[in-house]
Amino acid sequence: MHLFRTMHRVMLFLCVILLAPISQSLAQQDNRIDINSLGQGNFSQVSDKIAKLSRTGDIKLVPVFEALAAGDLYVRKTDKVVFIAKANSNVLTLTDTITGTSAGEGAKADFERIKVNNNLRRAVRTAIGALTLLSPDREVRLRAAYSVFSSPSEDALELLETAIASEEDGPIKSIMKQARAAAILKSDRSLDDKRAAVKTIVERGDRDALSILSAAQGNADGELRKDIDRALEHLHSVQALWDAGQNIWYGLSLGSVLLLAAVGLAITFGVMGIINMAHGEMVMLGAYTTFVVQEVIRSSYPELFDWSLIIALPLAFCITGLIGLSIERGIIRFLYGRPLETLLATWGVSLILQQGVRSIFGPSNREVGNPTWMSGGFEFGGMMLTYNRMWIVIFAAAVFLTLLFVLKRTRFGLQMRAVTQNRKMASSMGIKTPWVDALTFALGSGIAGIAGVALSQIDNVSPNLGQSYIIDSFMVVVFGGVGNLWGTLVGALSLGVVNKLLEPYIGAVLGKILILVLIILFIQRRPRGLFALKGRAVEA
Amino acid sequence: MISAFILKSLDRNISVCIAVLAAVAFIVPALNLLVSTESIFHIPTYAVSLFGKYLTYALLALALDLVWGFCGILSLGHAAFFALGGYAMGMYLVRQIGSRGVYGNPLLPDFMVFLNWKEMPWYWYGFDHFWFAALMILAIPGLLAFVFGWLAFRSRVTGVYLSIITQAMTYALLLAFFRNEMGFGGNNGLTDFKDLLGFNIQSQGMRASLFAASAIALAIALLISSAIVRSKFGKVLVGLRDAESRTRFLGYRPENYKLVTFTISAMMAGIAGALYVPQVGIINPGEFAPANSIEVVIWTAVGGRGTLIGPIIGATLVNFGKSIFTAQFPEIWLFALGALFVATTLFLPKGIVGSFRQMSRSRTTRKRADTPEHLQVDKVGDKGANLPAESLAAE
Amino acid sequence: MNIKACMTGVLLAGLLSATALQGAFAAEDTIKIGILHSLSGTMAISETTLKDAMLMLIDEQNKKGGVLGKKLEAVVVDPASDWPLFAEKARDLIEKDKVAAVFGCWTSVSRKSVLPVFKELDNLLFYPVQYEGEESERNVFYTGAAPNQQAIPAVDYLAENEGVERWVLAGTDYVYPRTTNKILEAYLKAKGVAAEDIMVSYTPFGHKDWQTIVSDIKKFGSAGKKTAVVSTINGDANVPFYKELGNQGVKAEDIPVVAFSVGEEELAGLDTTPLVGHLAAWNYFQSVDTPTNAEFIKTWRAYTKNEKRVTNDPMEAHYIGFNMWVKAVEAAGTTEPDKVIDSIVGVSVPNLSGGYSTMMPNHHITKPVLIGEIQSDGQFETVFKTPGLLVGDEWSDYLPDSKNLISDWRKPMSCGNFNVATGKCGGKGS
Repeated sequence: MHLFRTMHRVMLFLCVILLAPISQSLAQQDNRIDINSLGQGNFSQVSDKIAKLSRTGDIKLVPVFEALAAGDLYVRKTDKVVFIAKANSNVLTLTDTITGTSAGEGAKADFERIKVNNNLRRAVRTAIGALTLLSPDREVRLRAAYSVFSSPSEDALELLETAIASEEDGPIKSIMKQARAAAILKSDRSLDDKRAAVKTIVERGDRDALSILSAAQGNADGELRKDIDRALEHLHSVQALWDAGQNIWYGLSLGSVLLLAAVGLAITFGVMGIINMAHGEMVMLGAYTTFVVQEVIRSSYPELFDWSLIIALPLAFCITGLIGLSIERGIIRFLYGRPLETLLATWGVSLILQQGVRSIFGPSNREVGNPTWMSGGFEFGGMMLTYNRMWIVIFAAAVFLTLLFVLKRTRFGLQMRAVTQNRKMASSMGIKTPWVDALTFALGSGIAGIAGVALSQIDNVSPNLGQSYIIDSFMVVVFGGVGNLWGTLVGALSLGVVNKLLEPYIGAVLGKILILVLIILFIQRRPRGLFALKGRAVEA
Repeated sequence: MISAFILKSLDRNISVCIAVLAAVAFIVPALNLLVSTESIFHIPTYAVSLFGKYLTYALLALALDLVWGFCGILSLGHAAFFALGGYAMGMYLVRQIGSRGVYGNPLLPDFMVFLNWKEMPWYWYGFDHFWFAALMILAIPGLLAFVFGWLAFRSRVTGVYLSIITQAMTYALLLAFFRNEMGFGGNNGLTDFKDLLGFNIQSQGMRASLFAASAIALAIALLISSAIVRSKFGKVLVGLRDAESRTRFLGYRPENYKLVTFTISAMMAGIAGALYVPQVGIINPGEFAPANSIEVVIWTAVGGRGTLIGPIIGATLVNFGKSIFTAQFPEIWLFALGALFVATTLFLPKGIVGSFRQMSRSRTTRKRADTPEHLQVDKVGDKGANLPAESLAAE
Repeated sequence: MNIKACMTGVLLAGLLSATALQGAFAAEDTIKIGILHSLSGTMAISETTLKDAMLMLIDEQNKKGGVLGKKLEAVVVDPASDWPLFAEKARDLIEKDKVAAVFGCWTSVSRKSVLPVFKELDNLLFYPVQYEGEESERNVFYTGAAPNQQAIPAVDYLAENEGVERWVLAGTDYVYPRTTNKILEAYLKAKGVAAEDIMVSYTPFGHKDWQTIVSDIKKFGSAGKKTAVVSTINGDANVPFYKELGNQGVKAEDIPVVAFSVGEEELAGLDTTPLVGHLAAWNYFQSVDTPTNAEFIKTWRAYTKNEKRVTNDPMEAHYIGFNMWVKAVEAAGTTEPDKVIDSIVGVSVPNLSGGYSTMMPNHHITKPVLIGEIQSDGQFETVFKTPGLLVGDEWSDYLPDSKNLISDWRKPMSCGNFNVATGKCGGKGS
């Protein structure tokens, strides 16, 4: 009996080997028909065809699917043959779907693009996942494991089990196991299998686990139901802890945005006493500098795109610094000793700058892209950290420290402090006070400019950009205490964190209102802000 | 006695200005209503409404001048009092719609109907009576100013800190009124008014009357302000503005003086808002926007701070310019407005009226010596109150 | 001397007003058309394009010989995103410039602000933006979508094609999202969606920090049921919202977001690669493949001298509205508003999505509903189109107080809020 079975296997094996070329070409023929049929039918029909194709297990289908998801699959109108194609104005560069070889070019008008929707994209994702589970490339397998995990289905179970058996890489294997567990919960396997699956899933401890188990909760009963209930309770309590951490992180990230927006104002308003209403416009100009830099890069040096922000930083600093310098020389220097009138003049300047930008760049939003190192995010335990927020926190810290260094440790900083503390004395010590004033204002404006570079990553780049930050910036500086950089830091971070801790409970609007009321009450308690300057400092 | 007090408070300029306002209050409506539309003397209705609006702005600017020009309080939140007065009026007007709303609901305003509110919130009670609304127009801004001022002045919040928390106040109110749950119509605000005191709000007669009422309100406010600044009380205010510590050491209690002035000023702003709403036909949270308050400061500065008449002229001119420019040069008017502000600060630092006075004074001082009661104020004032001494003195 | 100051001020004001009034006596052989869109302030970002679109349409019409043998002349004003100023400018346009019709407004509040002016002075307003409904006025023509022409088909599409069972209704806190979400809530509940499967969230205008809300959406979406977000988030706040969505990895395949206020213009400020597959429901997309649309885009780009300029739904609404007005004026033989109001009902003009739109007696128009998915080039790809045209439903059937109301501005009814239950004009008619 045993022998017979072995014989049978050998025979089968031989058959397979012998027939392989024929069956392969047959399969190819089959695939070609199926691939060509992707061009017909509505979304759900196409989605069924994808599932059917993916069951062949033919890894060569992957590029076809990828092209489909990217919208690069076209049907030739005359004979309904499907091609992978790259569009270049009106010409399509065609690639054969099976052989992957070039199939010449065609006019765009002769072809019709196969439309995709989310359903199809999901189907393609699952299909690619299933097809590449056995891929030799580690990265590809990892991605495949994830995509099978994120859309578990009973169909994939056997494939997963094969994959798990041959997988040697630890992390991939555990994801595959989790994917298998998720699929088991959806299947009609035995109770024990399912209870084991629940255990596997709980180990993830994240929101995906929560999602899978909540979905399974509905049609579970008895022991399994109890297991799931317990698991969910556990997951919820874990998640609650992470949520608290997450909120504090959000608060820090909001705080660092506020800090960036306000730190330039802490110089022009805090140190120099100019009620600088054009501060927001400097931030906006910094953002527009980024836009221009990216435009140039996009059209001329696309490979430098990831460097665009780093190129934009010094440029933004110089441009806004120079504009600041000319505003100081042209207008503000006539207004020293009349701080309230600087409000009027800088408000006028801000109107002019806004309308200027509107005339040059148009009133609508401009696209500023995120470089790859600022896109996306990563999971940190149960928290989601996005790269752009993380870099902004780091950048804000760097700007703050640099500024502190300039103020406290350089000659210019010393002169600046001397002039603001006692102008006459500084002047008689031989400091060129007008020059120091101009440079200080330029420094504050320049810093607003580089803040604009950072803020362009998370916000609209439009002529109204600055307006939306100006009030918050003034609040931060005043709350922290005019004339004190540390006050600005503490003010920005505490406002950010309090805001984000309140938001989940009372919503964004009420949270903000409450913050404003708190600021008003706080100023009653400490009429000179958090870190009040002692002694005879400049009064504004 | 009162008339004596009032008479004492009038100088020639103020009385002329009040006379002009009173005359305008009668002549303009007359030219609008009585003169035939063919005549060149006819003033079209839209111009009446437009200038009525400017007059309410002028009243708001006057209110600000009282606290900023004479008391050294730079309020960046005066639009809040204006808007609150406007809302009080708006609520009365909404109640007058009755069942003429689109849903024909006799009890609830339209916006409550489509948000599925079942009954009117308690704070809407009473607003169907004009006397109650009129009371609230004064009471709500007054009360807010009183509480706010009591807190702020008592703890000696001054200068820019005070300015920024007034801004925080108006910003918080802006956000609050934007919320639909507040029951003030959210972003759409209150609109579609029909009647005021039983008369159609869109009728020519009503528009002319509202214009007259605005002009008279402005004249009365000018009279009261003038009385305040020329009284002993007013002299203390100026003292506070220019040297608060010194005044305090002389035995005055700055917080009380400031509080009274701030509250009166807020009430004036409330009246301005209440007159503004029926003339423009809408009140919406946008009126609380911090930028609006800054604009009021700018009108006052353009006209001349601390002159009482200056803000009236400044508000009228700037807004008139805005009306013209937005129609004639829609693409570039902001450049013109911005340039105007910059130019005013650089070349007319005392505003239009202040500069006029300076010019006239430099001519007259050459002829005769200064009057003995002329107040000499320390030029090195704190809190950035660096107005020239001559414009402070109420002559 | 102070008297002089006072008097000079008054005199100056008087003089200026006199010069302003002279504008009224301009050349009479043209027909004037008012354009009332904000060119500065917060709304300039959306409205400036519409001003340009109107100027182009007027220009094109003049090339064809104008209307009634007269040239058209555009009168552009800037209401500066300031709502009372909208009313003032509307009055200016009608009384001073004597325009024959006004094309303008974007926000609901600006429309509400100008409404009394149009009623009082009896002129025409063509309003091109999707709005919350619950209004029908004799002097206003709503060429944008009513909630049933945008929101309900979108929700149906998601439920049927994507199997969505759990809904996040996220919007900016103002009247359009509030009303639309009220209607949607009632609609979803009528379709059997449980109350705990609906999450409603409102944010202020220009909200920037979406971290908390996006993570709330993710949390809400991890309950094991297919979740979608219906977004009525307004203009400016969308860019940071979508950036946060992309960065936090909310993929359209997992939690699709369908938006009613995000068009090509808004996407122009975004890198859409991480957003592919998120949806929008409109009555027009630039990507619609019809000859009229291709022609329109070509003219638009030539007019603005910008090869990359995008078109959007409100522009199509102005295109339709303007052509309807021209046709109605030609049918009436006059630009007199009363005559035009009578002649415009029933007028059909081609829309850009390959069909005809008709002005209905309720002053709303018929439109197809298109649902599109965002592509990586910032365009939409239509994935669904209603088979027929939908009539704008001014009084929603899903709100208790408006379900009995209808509107018909034809004579003899001429009523914007006729109550079919009581048989009277004037709402509830108690």
